[in-house]
Amino acid sequence: MADVAESTGILEQIRLVAGLRWRILRNSLRKKNNRLDLIGLILAGILSSVLVLGLCFAFYAGAYTFLSNGRPGWMALLFWGIFLFWQVFPVLVAGFGANFEFRTLLRFPLSLSAFYIIGLAYGIADFSAIASLCWLLSMSIGAGAAKPGVLPAMLLVVCVFALFNVTLERLIGSWLERLLSRRRTRELFFALFVLSMISLNFVTPLLDRYGAAMRPVILHALPYFAWFPPSLAGRAIAAMAQLQPAGFLLGSAGLLLYVLLFSALLWRRFAAQYHGEELSETATPVHAAVRPVRGETDTADGLGLLSPQVAAVVRKEFRYLTRNSFAFLTLLMPPLLVLLFSSQFAGRHPSIGGTGVSTEMFFPGIMAYLILILMAPAYNSFAYEGRGIQIYFTAPLHFRQVFLGKNLMLVSVLTVEIALSIGMLTYRVGLPSAHMLLATIAAIIFTVVGQLTIANWSSLNFPRKLEFGQMRGQRQSGMAVLVAFGSQILMGGISAVILFSGRWTGNPRFPAEAFAFLAAAAVGGYFASLDALTHLAEKKKETLIEALCR
Amino acid sequence: MPEIAIQTQKLTRRFGKLLAVDAIDLQVTAGQFFGFLGPNGAGKSTTIKMLTGLLAPTSGSMQLLGQDFATHPVEVKRQIGVVPEGMGLFERLTGSEYLHFVGRMYGLDRATTRRRSDELLEFMQLADRPKTMVADYSHGMQKKLALAAAVIHGPRILFLDEPFEGVDALAAGALKSLLGRMTERGTTIFLTSHVLEIVERLCSHVAIIHKGRLVAHGSLEELRAGISDEEGNKTLEQIFVSIVGQDGTERPQLEELSWLM
Repeated sequence: MADVAESTGILEQIRLVAGLRWRILRNSLRKKNNRLDLIGLILAGILSSVLVLGLCFAFYAGAYTFLSNGRPGWMALLFWGIFLFWQVFPVLVAGFGANFEFRTLLRFPLSLSAFYIIGLAYGIADFSAIASLCWLLSMSIGAGAAKPGVLPAMLLVVCVFALFNVTLERLIGSWLERLLSRRRTRELFFALFVLSMISLNFVTPLLDRYGAAMRPVILHALPYFAWFPPSLAGRAIAAMAQLQPAGFLLGSAGLLLYVLLFSALLWRRFAAQYHGEELSETATPVHAAVRPVRGETDTADGLGLLSPQVAAVVRKEFRYLTRNSFAFLTLLMPPLLVLLFSSQFAGRHPSIGGTGVSTEMFFPGIMAYLILILMAPAYNSFAYEGRGIQIYFTAPLHFRQVFLGKNLMLVSVLTVEIALSIGMLTYRVGLPSAHMLLATIAAIIFTVVGQLTIANWSSLNFPRKLEFGQMRGQRQSGMAVLVAFGSQILMGGISAVILFSGRWTGNPRFPAEAFAFLAAAAVGGYFASLDALTHLAEKKKETLIEALCR
Repeated sequence: MPEIAIQTQKLTRRFGKLLAVDAIDLQVTAGQFFGFLGPNGAGKSTTIKMLTGLLAPTSGSMQLLGQDFATHPVEVKRQIGVVPEGMGLFERLTGSEYLHFVGRMYGLDRATTRRRSDELLEFMQLADRPKTMVADYSHGMQKKLALAAAVIHGPRILFLDEPFEGVDALAAGALKSLLGRMTERGTTIFLTSHVLEIVERLCSHVAIIHKGRLVAHGSLEELRAGISDEEGNKTLEQIFVSIVGQDGTERPQLEELSWLM
């Protein structure tokens, strides 16, 4: 009979989980062979520390000032700041940071209560929680320095407030995990998230126009916020500072009620997970119904002029684009950005005031910006291939056909996006002079085709696998980003010099002619590079397969 | 003289200091159902990758159907089908779209691709979920789709890396009969599997690779004859253990796990 281990205590299990997280972090650093990544991490760490420490001082000073200057009611503002950061920041970074699936711990012999406590403890290890705890501590010290008698009450309220926040943060995280467990929902969520972030730029113009009308509504709603936890925490401290124990008890009891409510909800969520809640993405099994497969893939799509291999790659790229809701929805960005920038910097009513940027400058500028955004994925064009990359090396084809297919698809997307954006620009701002229009179009051809050659080279040399619909742990190769950045600066610099040279030389036709020449050279260079890239692909196939099949 | 489907001379692959495949000379006759065996990390997948163009050899040469892979890669690839390690599927296509994509990549015309992909989906019992993406297939369904993709262009040599892993018994039976019929019609099948019973039942010839070196090569009868046997016919598993386990390093020491028993 095999020995059976005795159960481990909760504290020991928490210690083990903390050790696990530390080892995961340490090992992930050890694996990184890219120094740029490590430098980025160190810089981010330093910046974060400076931010947290700076705000520690601000919270200390705030608490000290409010209590010593007889404005204890304002303490609620500090609690609101911490509350918003603690709850919103993890949602914002949920998709971006590397994560460890805490639910995988369920394979071990844990009781539900141990699972719950470990889940809470896990929440305290997040950046937002650590930073918020530092700020709460600073507030407590500030409050203690201003009114030493308030310190015990302050510490009690801070403990309950921290417990409330960690519980709510874990609850939101758990709901989000459930919501985002389906790939399609996840992609839509992230796409809407990005679009909403961009839409934040409309807040200023909207406030300018409707701010005055909204003010009474906001003032009317303000008293209701007094019943939210940060206000209750602030009210409890204010009451204690004014020697009103009833107010303190009321505020604390309210806060405690929130803790109990959200703890019950979190317990319910964790219990569901503990009992094996299914969040799999696999489709629900269905009874097999034998029916003939229609030739849905074989509809006429106007690709008959291309070789079968190039047409197959174009078709596959198109399907991948339409099935990547995130990428598909972000195609809305360019016309949206044109709308945004034109409302702020150009046209008849720029929100920045004055006469705005002239059409002659605005048109090429916005086109350059769009190309900057739309060309970025080309520098890691195999990112979403996954294990499918192997077919390009086992199938009887030359790798140039793969590049041709991929580039053709990208150019088609760019053409549609630029046409839409030009339409939007014509409506909002108007078109520039014919010389400038021609010069810009030729410049677009030059920069796009020129970049394609470099981007293809970058895709072979610095591949990095990305997962569909996920932003968690999704990062491009540092070198690919650097190459993209360098080539875009180069192309942008050349284009700017040539565009301005028309003014300097007094010859308005010169930029169009120069760009036409450069565009022709870029197209020639592109086709000349394809054979060299085919040879390079053969040399780099192991790197590609290793990077994309892991 | 029978046609040689696969031939390698001193085929070698190094990964830094590690010698993964050490100068192997392999010869597979056309129409053979060939089993390529070896313990974990022996060099099987590396060899298959070299033979299918996924990995360049460090040295040595290989010819498939008489053509040198290094000088005629496209011509060789046109005649081979492969289920690579990890299956190599595009997960964001449906099964039908994936087969269509692969058929076109192998240069089949659209009508042929469509007809064959429909037939293959029916045969593999994948036709009932035409709109399901490969990412949502079970492991067994993905394996069947990868097999369908490997044969859609009617290859003369088929490389299969663990083809039956995760495939249900009914489908596995149908696949085995399909592969058997393919070899009868002259297709060469190069198969790796850890399930030695399957290899023994399907394959006429076997090679065993161990620590990068080819340690046995021949028909099952030849391998049996090469082992001293007092009790009559040995199974492939016994032959495998006898050859690979000769140095004693492969056998786990059960005495060390006394706490488990």
